Amino acid sequence: MKMAGRNAALLFFLAPAFILIALFYLVPLAITVYVSFTDMQNWSLYTLRLLPNPLFNYARLFHMMLYDPDFVKVVYTTIVFTLVTLAFNVLGGLGLAIAVYLMEERLSGFFRGLWLLPRMTPVAVYALLWYYFFLGSRDGTLNAILMALGVIDKPVQWGTDPRLLPWSAWAIIIYVNVLVGVSFGMLIFYSALRSIPWEQVIAARVDGASTLQLVRHILIPSIRWHIMFVTVWQLLSLLTTYAHIFLLVEWGVVDRWWSSTWALYVFTTAFGLGGGGPSSTYQGLAAAAAVILALVGAGLGLLALRLLGFRRMIVPPKGEL
Amino acid sequence: MVEVRLESVSKRFGRVVALHEVTLTFEDGSFTAILGPSGSGKTTLLYLIAGIYKPSSGRIYFGDRDVTNMPPNKRNVGLVFQNYALYPHMTVYDNIAFPLRLKKLPRDEIDRRVREVAKLLHIEELLERYPSQLSGGQQQRVAMARALVKQPDVLLLDEPLSNLDALLRIKIRAELKRLQKDLGITTIYVTHDQSEALALADRIVVIDRGRIQQVGTPDEVYARPRNLFVAGFIGSPPANLIPAKIVARSGSACVAIGDTVYCPDKPLSEKLARFQEVIVAFRPEHATLGEEPAENMVSIEAEVYTVETLGKENIVTLLVGATPVKVVVEPSVRPQPGSKLFINVEPEKLMFFDPETELNIEYIEV
Ligand SMILES: Nc1ncnc2c1ncn2[C@@H]1O[C@H](COP(=O)(O)OP(=O)(O)OP(=O)(O)O)[C@@H](O)[C@H]1O
Ligand SMILES: [Mg+2]
Repeated sequence: MKMAGRNAALLFFLAPAFILIALFYLVPLAITVYVSFTDMQNWSLYTLRLLPNPLFNYARLFHMMLYDPDFVKVVYTTIVFTLVTLAFNVLGGLGLAIAVYLMEERLSGFFRGLWLLPRMTPVAVYALLWYYFFLGSRDGTLNAILMALGVIDKPVQWGTDPRLLPWSAWAIIIYVNVLVGVSFGMLIFYSALRSIPWEQVIAARVDGASTLQLVRHILIPSIRWHIMFVTVWQLLSLLTTYAHIFLLVEWGVVDRWWSSTWALYVFTTAFGLGGGGPSSTYQGLAAAAAVILALVGAGLGLLALRLLGFRRMIVPPKGEL
Repeated sequence: MVEVRLESVSKRFGRVVALHEVTLTFEDGSFTAILGPSGSGKTTLLYLIAGIYKPSSGRIYFGDRDVTNMPPNKRNVGLVFQNYALYPHMTVYDNIAFPLRLKKLPRDEIDRRVREVAKLLHIEELLERYPSQLSGGQQQRVAMARALVKQPDVLLLDEPLSNLDALLRIKIRAELKRLQKDLGITTIYVTHDQSEALALADRIVVIDRGRIQQVGTPDEVYARPRNLFVAGFIGSPPANLIPAKIVARSGSACVAIGDTVYCPDKPLSEKLARFQEVIVAFRPEHATLGEEPAENMVSIEAEVYTVETLGKENIVTLLVGATPVKVVVEPSVRPQPGSKLFINVEPEKLMFFDPETELNIEYIEV
């Protein structure tokens, strides 16, 4: 009887979450997996039939990885973009948080606000800003500045000039994303730093720690859990976000393939690219790519948690709760 | 090991004056207690010496060195915090070794010194544990070990025993005193517990509302409080304070406490002559109770109010007029509430304070 009551209570509290997860995660996931076994094209329901070889799209992606020069660029771009942006976001966020933490209160508030600006700006506005900045004509802000300074004498196609690719395109998309992404780590790390008891910081000072030693031996170890969390979180979100890059690619300021991450490839394959993009869309292929991305993300997430010792950091509660 | 000197040091936090014009010398190798009520500025004083706060004005010297603007990591002081402030992510061993590692000492020397100080404080078995796995008393010893291991010039202790139970407190108190004498480190010990201060210190600094009230040996502070604050703060229970009038009797000044008139001898009566009113003070343990006025004593009639029994003694509260007065008596003495008794005090034990300046008139120059 008691047991039944307990289960009923459990069910009552868990049901809403279960329903939401099912509705907005499991069902779309199942649909995606199903679509990936079909050759759906141009959103035509006639094409939504299982392929004779259901894994054909997966085989095709694998084949493309080896032989399609454009798709190879997507793979490289994904790896470079994810790892470099991740490093900048986590280490940069950490550096900023520590700098702001060590600053005087009034100055620190100003800097925190400043770094939040990109995140508070709507994506389209923000992307437009950098579109004009990196524009290849003489109206591009960067070109205008450099020409005024006499560094260059004719405009440079920053994101598309074959002589600068892939580095320039990568630099632009990483730069634009870091500027937004770094504030996430900064905020989390800063509030974590603020919750370190003040006496511990003072104790370290009195024990003889220089600022650098304080950072290394007290501040960073005290927030290691937060660093791990932000790393995993950012890794997974970098694998899947594409909004900023999409607009820069769509508007043609960066090279399409040297700026397409896997997630963006999924999107443009399924929904197409405006302007000069391909006219046909391939939902079956995109779904297969999306499933692979989800699997890679889940694998990396679990691996990261294991490597970073998630278990060890979850301390068993003192006393019985 | 060094002498610490403060010269007119003030510290303000915005509009709050936490310390006002403090001038003090802590002699090399001495053990000084800073004693004062909550919020009096004790921690602020300690943090100024440690370099955690910069004085708003005034200067601080370690020996001949002016350290006023020196950051804490350059001062070589050991500081034990009220809440210990151990590093939770380090073992006890690493906590103690931390100051030495910062100095980049060789591994084997660090190990030797950590084990030495751990032995001194009887925490050798705890070295592998984390702070969260220690009791309050053990954490306190670790904090002490961390402060001592770097062989500081000055040891600063901020109410280090306040989180411990009474028994442990008395035990560690004794160890602390021995340790300080053995090591000869200039030690400044902040407390609001006067029995701790009286038991431990060579010298006591009494502080209230950011101002030094008195500096003296435990005996001086106890027997000759400089002002009403010190008289009313030191001792448990503290000194009794009774307002009295100065009256003239056969040409010399006498003190009228209720119906009792006491005429002191020459130097004192001359000092008293300058006042109309004084506050008479004596310690509860310096008075006795009797049915009759006693010979050669100042006897004040009073009505018994309550009796507290404490085991080794009783504290009787009586009313002199409307003023409550406490007297410490033998456990066998239990007068009835409401009965009339005489409080007998030896004249030498009486102290007199100016109600205006609150100063002990002993300290007033004629
Ligand atoms: N950082 C600060 N900012 C503002 N006011 C402060 C600060 N630190 C202390 N004060 C004020 O200065 C006064 C002295 O504080 P302090 O901490 O030195 O007292 P304390 O004698 O150590 O008291 P306690 O026995 O309660 O620890 C108090 O009025 C306190 O409110
Ligand atoms: Mg304090």
